[in-house]
Amino acid sequence: MHPSPEYRPGLPEQNDNVSHNHPLKEFVILLSGVTAFLLLAAWSLGLLVDWAAGFISPEMEAVIFSSMQVSGATVFVQQKDDPRRVALQRLVDELGRCNEVGYPLRVNMAKSKIANAFAFPGGRIVILEGLLETIDSENGLAFVLAHEMAHFKHRDHLRGMGRGLVFTAFSALLTGAGSDITQLIAPALGIGQARYSQDREALADKLALETLNFFYGHVGGATEFFEAMQEETGEQGRGIGGYFASHPEAVQRINALRRLAAASGFAVRKTAPLPKALVTPADAPSR
Amino acid sequence: MDALIQLIFFLTLLTLGYVFGKIAEKKHYRSIIEREKQWMQIPTTSGRHVLSTDREVKGVKLATGSVVISVDYFKRILAGLRNFFGGNVRSYETLVDRARREAVLRMKESCPKADQIINLRLETSSISKGNKNQIGSVEVLAYGTAVYLYPSSTATHL
Repeated sequence: MHPSPEYRPGLPEQNDNVSHNHPLKEFVILLSGVTAFLLLAAWSLGLLVDWAAGFISPEMEAVIFSSMQVSGATVFVQQKDDPRRVALQRLVDELGRCNEVGYPLRVNMAKSKIANAFAFPGGRIVILEGLLETIDSENGLAFVLAHEMAHFKHRDHLRGMGRGLVFTAFSALLTGAGSDITQLIAPALGIGQARYSQDREALADKLALETLNFFYGHVGGATEFFEAMQEETGEQGRGIGGYFASHPEAVQRINALRRLAAASGFAVRKTAPLPKALVTPADAPSR
Repeated sequence: MDALIQLIFFLTLLTLGYVFGKIAEKKHYRSIIEREKQWMQIPTTSGRHVLSTDREVKGVKLATGSVVISVDYFKRILAGLRNFFGGNVRSYETLVDRARREAVLRMKESCPKADQIINLRLETSSISKGNKNQIGSVEVLAYGTAVYLYPSSTATHL
């Protein structure tokens, strides 16, 4: 049958050309190595950003971010004589004497139904109009403003922005933008950043509470905004999504503020109504 | 929240890639081993000369067999992780092993009546080389010379 005596048909007993260990095991080992490296890198880069943020003075910051005003200028300029803006600015200036932000802060309002406030680099606080409808007392409003001011005092806007920049550049450098591994790194860094951001929010809440107590002599109204938020979102928690969120859950913030107020011996008294200029029609029925 | 969706998306792809990649690979290996036993009887060598035989060469033909096999998502991620540390990219080993063996089998199946295949060569090329976000797949081409012999004459055979 065999055409040649040189040839003996046979197959190798085992395949030496492939590795026989389990791919999942290799995956777990490699993944934990990469994760450990990333955590270390993110942590040390974050410290570097914090260190660098300390070198940027408020004046320098205003110069750097002055170009950012262009986009919103048309909206904000019309508000120059808006009585609501003037009232908010006055409140911020008065609060500023209590928490020594060291920034020239300007308040602006933006049209939106959403109740929120933002701290932008360059010393600009933006209040969304929805916030004025949600909040009924001056104390509640002062807490939100003091919270944003605390972000300025802590330089959180610079830290957050710096981290965003550095992490994006870092992951792109490491893997090339849009590669498969970026899909893995982005959520990992996202969790780290969310965790950091939640910590900073809690710190800003703490300073805001102290400012409120210093300003009014009590901390009534501190949780007003979060209570309104909680009513809106309902009772159910965010589940696993909470690990990725930039802000702690409203109920956690309320509890943390209450604990802090109790521990510091801050009193809770009756809140003052909003200044007349800031009362919106939506507030009227609840009065 | 964005990151969470991204992570779920990623893990889903990874699991799908692992499960379906594993199933496809097992199935393919079963087929390869079975067919290798079946085609074992055709002597196939990389040598340039016909294996010594007392029969005369009737004719020769070029025999080719090629295959393209794609990498699954899990293997690609595993290889990507391996890129950080260096070392053997084990996740791709089975891929090229299957491709090589399948190509040789297809070459043999293209000339079932051949008595020998000599001068066997294998060529490999990666499809979509250098293009990111494209399906990474490997092509293996096996080619050789199929040799057909005259039936052995009973007169010369003792």
